[in-house]
Amino acid sequence: MANQVIELDDNGVETGKTGIESVMSYHELNAMINLWDKDGKMQLDKDKLAVRKYFLDHVNQNTVFFHSLKERLDYLVENEYYEKEVLDQYRFEFIEELEKLAYSKKFRFDAFMGAYKFYTGYALKTFDGERYLERFEDRVVMVALALAEGKEDIAISMVEEIISGRFQPATPTFLNCGKKQRGEFVSCFLLRIEDNMESISRAINSALQLSKRGGGVALNLSNVREYGAPIKKIEGQSSGIIPVMKLLEDSFSYANQLGARQGAGAVYLNAHHPDILRFLDTKRENADEKIRIKTLSIGIVVPDITMHLAKDNEDMYLFSPYDVEKVYGVPFGDISVTEKYQEMVDDPRIKKQKIKARTLFERIAELQFESGYPYIMYEDTVNKANPIQGRINMSNLCSEILQVNTPTTYNADLSYDQIGKDISCNLGSLNIAMAMDGPDLAKTIETSIRALTSVSDQSDIVSVRSISDGNHKSHAIGLGQMNLHGYLARERIHYGSEEALDFTNIYFYTVVFNAIQASNKIAIERGTSFANFENSTYASGEYFEKYVTQEWEPKTEKVKELFAKSGAKIPTQAEWKKLKTSVMAHGIYNQNLQAVPPTGSISYINNSTSSIHPIASRIEIRKEGKLGRVYYPAPFLSEDTWDYYDDAYEVGPDKIIDTYAVATQHVDQGLSLTLFFKDTATTRDVNRAQINAWRKGIKTIYYIRIRQQALLGTEVDSCVSCML
Amino acid sequence: MNKIKLVSRPVNWNKIEDPIDMDVWNRLTSNFWLPEKVPISNDIQSWETLKPHEKTLTMHVFTGLTMLDTIQGTIGAAALLPDARTPHEEAVITNIAFMESVHAKSYSSVFSTLCSSADIDEAFRWSEDNPHLQKKAEIILGYYKGDDPLKRKVASTLLESFLFYSGFYLPMYWSSRAKLTNTADLIRLIIRDEAIHGYYIGYKYQLALAEESEARQAELKSYTYDLLLELYDNEIKYTADLYDGMGLTEDVKKFLRYNGNKALMNLGYDPLFPKDECDVNPAILAALSPNADENHDFFSGSGSSYVIGKHESTTDDDWDF
Repeated sequence: MANQVIELDDNGVETGKTGIESVMSYHELNAMINLWDKDGKMQLDKDKLAVRKYFLDHVNQNTVFFHSLKERLDYLVENEYYEKEVLDQYRFEFIEELEKLAYSKKFRFDAFMGAYKFYTGYALKTFDGERYLERFEDRVVMVALALAEGKEDIAISMVEEIISGRFQPATPTFLNCGKKQRGEFVSCFLLRIEDNMESISRAINSALQLSKRGGGVALNLSNVREYGAPIKKIEGQSSGIIPVMKLLEDSFSYANQLGARQGAGAVYLNAHHPDILRFLDTKRENADEKIRIKTLSIGIVVPDITMHLAKDNEDMYLFSPYDVEKVYGVPFGDISVTEKYQEMVDDPRIKKQKIKARTLFERIAELQFESGYPYIMYEDTVNKANPIQGRINMSNLCSEILQVNTPTTYNADLSYDQIGKDISCNLGSLNIAMAMDGPDLAKTIETSIRALTSVSDQSDIVSVRSISDGNHKSHAIGLGQMNLHGYLARERIHYGSEEALDFTNIYFYTVVFNAIQASNKIAIERGTSFANFENSTYASGEYFEKYVTQEWEPKTEKVKELFAKSGAKIPTQAEWKKLKTSVMAHGIYNQNLQAVPPTGSISYINNSTSSIHPIASRIEIRKEGKLGRVYYPAPFLSEDTWDYYDDAYEVGPDKIIDTYAVATQHVDQGLSLTLFFKDTATTRDVNRAQINAWRKGIKTIYYIRIRQQALLGTEVDSCVSCML
Repeated sequence: MNKIKLVSRPVNWNKIEDPIDMDVWNRLTSNFWLPEKVPISNDIQSWETLKPHEKTLTMHVFTGLTMLDTIQGTIGAAALLPDARTPHEEAVITNIAFMESVHAKSYSSVFSTLCSSADIDEAFRWSEDNPHLQKKAEIILGYYKGDDPLKRKVASTLLESFLFYSGFYLPMYWSSRAKLTNTADLIRLIIRDEAIHGYYIGYKYQLALAEESEARQAELKSYTYDLLLELYDNEIKYTADLYDGMGLTEDVKKFLRYNGNKALMNLGYDPLFPKDECDVNPAILAALSPNADENHDFFSGSGSSYVIGKHESTTDDDWDF
């Protein structure tokens, strides 16, 4: 198919240059970055060409044209595409200025993946799905208008931060803001289940409601009685947690209408629940269909005592939640197993079983090889670091949300007796490279905290009262981070090196200060804090201990330089003391501030590496329901930076754990941490990494990924991502 | 070379005669999978977006693949057993045979999830009536039933490394167009297996070939090229039958030549088709990669990358904290 390529400039105008690949589609051009050219060189320029071609062949041809902004907005409001209430908060002239500001920034997608993802997944389309009604700039403006709630100066800051790529709201927010036909802004929900039928059926109902709105839902099964437990005192009646998992799995796939975003549900179980091995076996490759769980994610809650029992190679006892609740008067999940372990072992009223502690860990690792699951939450680590009164007994679908909850009770007619507190969290991430390049990191963070707070304020999930009540009380948000590896590579630092750890530490140290300061500012403006602030370690001042007694400064010359040339100011001990006083006096508005999500889609749009992980591959192959296979080159990848892009499998688990450990100490919630192994690894290597993570104070472990290389002689020729 | 075994030998895995047997066995067993692993039902929506002729094509392609895997699972792999050089090779071949049956069954699970029974019956009828598909089966079966062990290996390698690919093209094509992506995951698992099967049988062929006389080597070489060309001619007609309606025939042919060359490589021969006639559509080529470097969205299933892990117990040193 020898033909010509017509080369286009950024606006899709022909440059007069020609080449040989003109009949190639943007899809094919994009795929070429995964293949070496005839001289064995990378073909990254083909991706740029793919972006241009995509605009010329597809986007421009399918975008509805308007003569003026006025005409456009009127049309979109009249036809119920845009929410009138959002626009009515502003003068038209202001909106016009804001659009001008956004377009003046000359935003361009760096990677085909970003452009494709934005137009297929985020841009407003006509109701028949055929034509685009928004460009990237329009979306950013609409998000800013919705989140600034009528405040012009804040709207301007938000446009500045988002269009520059420094701050990127999470998918539900970025996708839905300002649209008339929209889902919720919040994506992440965590629900308790108590040990009674009312609570189980309510949980299923809530799972359906929340999935329908596009949310990911995690549920805690630790309180539910085990297989063979008595029902109404008759022994051997309960069928345990597996059938509940089945019900939930089916509910999630029903509410998603077998759509692209599948199985957006997770369940957590305490390691000392008697059904723990059955729970894990649901993910077995050869499990019977009756118990096999395909699309529901699973996570396991591991207290410190389990680690110690494994260390001593002892048996671990599993306790009947039914009996524990009868003895202690509180659900099993609300008990610290570490604290009560010996007492429960000695209590004849509590039925128990035992397994070898090390066997459990081996089983976990085996399953992780086969399925990537379970996630792990180190319960005691999480609770020790929790500044809020109460207990954290579960995490969420991406294992970065860590908040306290309380049970809900029901009347006989299924109405609420007492509405407890369940968890929701809205997220948004900073692009570390852009944030460091920016003129003022403190302002970037403050604007981000305000944007996230606005999402929390505007959210009201009335169909699940425990969620809406919880949100109104806590205003919890999660500021995340991404593009760490991209930034490090651009600055010629190896991921996991001494300089990299030094940077990560000081960066997160700077972020936490500014995040708390922003939340404190909001509390002062509104004269209110989150509910039960007075019983938090923020109020007692204890939280600030490590910051006011210890100096935090870069240790390496390189990191000193990086901060010196950046607009980021490292907070001093004196500033911390001042902040501490102000927080103790006026409180903070948000119960939770930070959570570092895995960042999938938004990091492509934002041209970032995911989260604070190392890259999965220099050229990443991405498969998603809506996308098919698309290839994504690491941001800032070039012949020069090639060596700094060791992928996650080469980097190995230890350096990832070290990186997360220095960040974790400054994050109030969690960080999604995936561990990557080559297929030469054994279950023992996985176990060692889990032990190491726990020792270093890691709160949660997300997926385990295993990479298998093609057998020698079976590789595809000239494939970049096949290269070792 | 004594291939007639008068004494039954128990297979002793502690005494490995050919380390490749062990490597391939380990690889195959750690790759073990069943079709239930892949959530094909998530493709239902996508399936409904295909036009009628696209659906028909897809079903025809899959019945064609089912046919090949049926042959390979029930006759092909079994036909290789008597010529095994080592008891370990026999074990590997039984694994291959079993996995071919898993493949054949997995196409059925795609069918039953996506299509109605009437459509399925119609597609199977088509496979019985299509002359080129039948001829392909005939040619291969002829050699499997013949008495030349080396020719059997050649036929088997060409089937594993060449004949499947006219069918594999389509799911890769759909996946690069964001259609039937879960089905593509399943096919990729099959490709992952077939790549190893073709490689292994080709390797065993090369070992046996080295022991033959020069004249016989020359005979087998020309036999191989002849057979490939015979199959290729038939394959081109088969491809045209399938893909003309979508205008993809030329593209598929490039893909055939590319894989024809790969099959020859597996047998230790030089490529037949010139490189520039094998410039496969990059989207297809890139989609083929059997490696597990794919990154999934958070909520997806396990895709085509997970393996069954090697178990190793922790020791007290590991727990030293």
